[in-house]
Amino acid sequence: MDEPLIYTSKGNLPISSLRYETVWHDTKDIMKFVERYLLGDEVVRESAHVYVKHGFTSLMAEQGTFNHG
Amino acid sequence: MANSQAIATSFKSEILDGLHALGTSVVRAGTGADTFKAALYLATASIGAGTTAYSVTNEVSGTNYTAGGATFTWTAPTTSGTTAYTTPSANITWTTVTLSTAFDCVLLYNSTQSNRAVAAYTFGSQTVTAGNFTLTMPTNDSSTGLLRIA
Repeated sequence: MDEPLIYTSKGNLPISSLRYETVWHDTKDIMKFVERYLLGDEVVRESAHVYVKHGFTSLMAEQGTFNHG
Repeated sequence: MANSQAIATSFKSEILDGLHALGTSVVRAGTGADTFKAALYLATASIGAGTTAYSVTNEVSGTNYTAGGATFTWTAPTTSGTTAYTTPSANITWTTVTLSTAFDCVLLYNSTQSNRAVAAYTFGSQTVTAGNFTLTMPTNDSSTGLLRIA
């Protein structure tokens, strides 16, 4: 059976030759999932997926009032 | 029933649709939606509320990333309660890119209207190596939509 390969900065490498690690960042605004494949200590593939929890640029339209003087 | 003062909710949505010109109007070539793009910026850039337009200065560069960023479309602006809102209609993804210098910001801008800025969002410093970078959009509603006028 062929060994699965994965595309990296060093071309297609056997996935079994790489170390896989993940990192999560969770803040009030975003959740980020980072996945890395390392060959030794070198990162040869890194992807990041950001979930934007909400639009944090909220425009406020403020209404003026007439002067009743 | 009594009168009450308010900015019309419909007006808020119509601002997003470009129906009102309170200042000098922009002459449009058609009635279709403008083209909007998303560009990534280095963590050392100074993108923010003072940014008026897209600039290549401090934009990321790397394998499979095209200067100017990725094109996206907005969902049709709508309202709920007294809030108008819209969100990109799909996630924005850069595929098999290598962006070796740390970046932390995306600028959404109007490519049709002289690249005028719309909004900037930050997501923490990041690099990508022979991989994908995805911005997954929030639920498009009046409390989490990406662009809201309340």
